[in-house]
Amino acid sequence: MNRRALIAAAAAFGTLVAAPAALADEWRPTQPMTMVIGFAPGGSTDIQGRVLARTLEEYFGQPVNVVNQPGGGGAVALTRFLNAEPDGHTFMFGVMLGLTFSPIVSPVEYEIDDFRYAGTLVGGQFGVIAAGDAPYQSFEELIAYGKENPMTYAQQLPMDQAIMQRIAEQEGLDLAFVPTGGGGGVAPLLLGGEVDFAFSGGIHSQYVPTGDMNILAFFTRDRSPFYPDVPTLVELGYPYAMDDFRSFFLPGGTPDEIVQAFENAARFAVEHEPFVQVTVENTQHPIVFMDGAETEAAIREIRAANEALMAD
Amino acid sequence: MDLSAVGAAAAEALTLASFIGIGGGVLLGYVVGVIPGLSRSVAISIAIPMTFYMSPYIAISFLIGLSKGTAAGSAVSAILLNAPGEASSAATALDGYPMAKAGKPKTALQIGLIASVIGDILATIILIFVAIPFARVALMFGPYEMAAILAFALVFIAGLSGGNIFKGLAAGGLGIFLGTIGLDNQTGLPRLTFGYTELMDGMPLIAVAIGTLALSEMFVQSEKLRYDRANMSVQLKNDPNDHVTMPILRRIMPTILRGTGVGTFVGALPGLGPSVGSFMSYGMAQRAAKDPSTFGKGEPKGIAASESADNAVIPAALIPLFGLGIPGNVSAALLIGAFAIHGITVGPLLLRDNPELLYSIFAGMILASIIMLALGWFGLMVFAQITKVPPHVVIPIVIFFCLAGMMLQGYGTFGLVILIAFAVLGYLMKKYDYSFVTFLVAFIITPMLELNLRQSIILSRGNWEILLNRPIALFFIACTALALVMLILRTVRTGKPAANAPAD
Repeated sequence: MNRRALIAAAAAFGTLVAAPAALADEWRPTQPMTMVIGFAPGGSTDIQGRVLARTLEEYFGQPVNVVNQPGGGGAVALTRFLNAEPDGHTFMFGVMLGLTFSPIVSPVEYEIDDFRYAGTLVGGQFGVIAAGDAPYQSFEELIAYGKENPMTYAQQLPMDQAIMQRIAEQEGLDLAFVPTGGGGGVAPLLLGGEVDFAFSGGIHSQYVPTGDMNILAFFTRDRSPFYPDVPTLVELGYPYAMDDFRSFFLPGGTPDEIVQAFENAARFAVEHEPFVQVTVENTQHPIVFMDGAETEAAIREIRAANEALMAD
Repeated sequence: MDLSAVGAAAAEALTLASFIGIGGGVLLGYVVGVIPGLSRSVAISIAIPMTFYMSPYIAISFLIGLSKGTAAGSAVSAILLNAPGEASSAATALDGYPMAKAGKPKTALQIGLIASVIGDILATIILIFVAIPFARVALMFGPYEMAAILAFALVFIAGLSGGNIFKGLAAGGLGIFLGTIGLDNQTGLPRLTFGYTELMDGMPLIAVAIGTLALSEMFVQSEKLRYDRANMSVQLKNDPNDHVTMPILRRIMPTILRGTGVGTFVGALPGLGPSVGSFMSYGMAQRAAKDPSTFGKGEPKGIAASESADNAVIPAALIPLFGLGIPGNVSAALLIGAFAIHGITVGPLLLRDNPELLYSIFAGMILASIIMLALGWFGLMVFAQITKVPPHVVIPIVIFFCLAGMMLQGYGTFGLVILIAFAVLGYLMKKYDYSFVTFLVAFIITPMLELNLRQSIILSRGNWEILLNRPIALFFIACTALALVMLILRTVRTGKPAANAPAD
């Protein structure tokens, strides 16, 4: 795929939501800041976060230290974040899953109301992938193949398993679910021909260009800007979606003016070249901007959808 | 191989900037490796922001040099203090510490360094010639094969433990039990976390490793300081015979080569990691020896086996990374992030899009090995002086580093409590002769074994016959059964354990 086109797509996303530059009298940090990332170093959240930290240094004029607190898909960091000072100097570049999904399956100490949400910068890329040399090149062909043959699906979250389970029941597939223990575990299973198809949290970006993998459909509500020809499950007639965004989280009780400053920082970052480049080109995630209110609404909406999905 | 690219790569590898960058990485890694408590993965994640200001080639070579340095440096504290800097050097301490106590600390350090460097260079050469064309071989090792290999590693390494076989089973069982804590892989439901969010990703490995290996040893030595002072620490005498000799080198060379082979094999399979490699290699050296009873009492082959495999894992873990984009272990996974920050996607695309960079990195890795030999040789002269520092000064410093290293993990006070708990556990295990090696290896292997076994059962849909098409898996299952039978037979026959390595 043409890299220029990707940048252009990202830029288009940016300009759609372009906002006035930061106001001169808005809140400014007075000491070095700490950015909490709920995942281990090396993952796509961490990579984007580290470049974002430098963008924010430029915007706020203070050093930004990155602290990784991995565990439980962001749940560990969110739990720790409950005790953070609401003075704007500690913030999280967070993945929504810890709020929209973890509380449904495991007891956690926090709730959506415990934090404030200042803006979204990056969109998720959950997809259905198969090996490049598989006998099916689209989701329809996969279903047709599955009606004749027993199949295996490498899952990552109970949620994508629940969605696939319903599709399998609806289509009458004989489908077995294989755990992978996280993103890195999918590639060997798929490339080694052990499983028929799999969930991708973004790993396809590395293997689709080489032809080793094919992306058959997206779990997200909207099509991916990188694969405009690949349909979503909803478009294919299955009423299930699974979305995730990466946003600024602030401690509960943070004053409005600080939340506003972070919202403006998010506006700045989604048009800042280094951050856009690492997000779009290296980790192949779309730049998606939402303001604080839209972010919180999206979290509540996704949470409700996930609860409905996991209810039975 | 594109020759002009190789030439350009060699030219870039030999600039002053790359010497400084790679040398700095190796030195930093070596120091982190020596200090018990500071671990490789922490060092890499802290160093990644430092690489923002370097060229991609130097940045990556710096980080790989750092990995290599930690693997070599961790032997120093294992040999001199019996407190390994990394879990993967725990096998080095089994023979290194007795040898140092017997008045040959420098010889032990030199054997460790030579084994490290040879293992490192050979594995790097294998990486260069094998990485891209043969990386796909690793895909032949699917869940069935990995489950069989892990089961074999568990039984084989458990066989190394001394003492009563029932004590061994108890130690291994505890390791397996603690290894099951955390979120279930498939359902995402928490198991045995008792409501602690911190335990969702399992008992923190670093806390278990630092606690049972390094901190507990400080407890043991504190006790000796009180009751057995004369016989507690390594003495550095100015013994002119305390250096490695040609006969020793000739004797350990086959062991080093075997260790390199084991380390490369283990490293190339995603997930196994250096601890499995070094213990497997140690066990194989012991089985191959004419007189296995010398192991655990200062046998040079023991040090050579462990260190060569430990270091060979580091470059070998890059085989699946460069060939397939699949990281071989945690440090390799961190490298993916470092590459990405520099705008490079690791994997099969790297050779196609960026061959010069790849060859430069290979050249940098060889350079790192050579720098490691020079730095290590000088470094062990310096570090050997640690033995002149009185233990009542060394012990609190090591305890401080253990606690500080745990704080760096970001677990907060919860991590410190877990760390102390495991230190007490390790102390009791050493005191009552339960093998902490068996415990630790069982703990490390269990989550991987569980996942692969589960995948195998689901993929096969419970059908055993599928194994008939899996000769590699069958082979390792047979090895596991054989190791088990031999272990039981020897225990029954002699009333003693199969192997002679002491538990501490």
